[in-house]
Amino acid sequence: MADAWEPFEIRLRIPSRMEWLGLVDRVAAGIAEQLDFEEETADAVANSVVEAGTNAIQHGHRYTSALPVDLVFEVQADRLTVRVHDRGPGFDVAKVLQADPTAPDSLLSSRGRGIFIMKSLMDRVEFEITPGKGCTAVLTKYRRESG
Amino acid sequence: MKASRRMEGDVAVIALSGKLMGGPDAEGVRQVIRESLDEGTRKILVDVGEVSWVNSTGLGILISSLAAVTDAGGKMKLCRVSHRVHQIFMVTKLHQVFDAHETVEEALKGFAG
Repeated sequence: MADAWEPFEIRLRIPSRMEWLGLVDRVAAGIAEQLDFEEETADAVANSVVEAGTNAIQHGHRYTSALPVDLVFEVQADRLTVRVHDRGPGFDVAKVLQADPTAPDSLLSSRGRGIFIMKSLMDRVEFEITPGKGCTAVLTKYRRESG
Repeated sequence: MKASRRMEGDVAVIALSGKLMGGPDAEGVRQVIRESLDEGTRKILVDVGEVSWVNSTGLGILISSLAAVTDAGGKMKLCRVSHRVHQIFMVTKLHQVFDAHETVEEALKGFAG
């Protein structure tokens, strides 16, 4: 169909409670399946979106359940982009990206892997931080041509 | 997240099911491990076969549990790690930290060795 891949969005808003990450996971996995991602790629998308949601709840909103986490799944012909927005103050992106949780002296740390996981599993990860408005993690996975 | 415990000889097999994601989960898992250690058990097998996914906070629970068991002079193994959870272990290199086995039986044999 000529317009089969007209870009579209799927939106989700959850309270900042960890138990609602289960729904985020199902939506992300369901969209990845619908887009015919291979299983490993679909797992990568779901794992990354769950991490972004975890960061929003844990760091952005400090578990303040009344603050919503907004997710937008943007489907385009060549990519899936997931935007995960929290209303928190943001963070020092450069500093966090410098850290290597796989380094020998960090490997046994119980924290600090969320962004590393996202960057390892997605094709692109960016952060848009606007003072007073919040922080948006933008995760992109390119779609390969299916056979 | 549910955590149940049974004994297989001198090994405490702790079966987790659901989503391992931190929050109240953390205390439940830590409590089961702490109780095992308090009772003198030094061989802990965490069966994650029914864990649908784990996030970075859940990884922290597993790591701190491993530390608690090791500090007590014990050994902790994992078994039945799903493909999805294994993906997280691989990118974080935690597959080098956790001693993971395909099955409960294989893990139990590993404790005997």
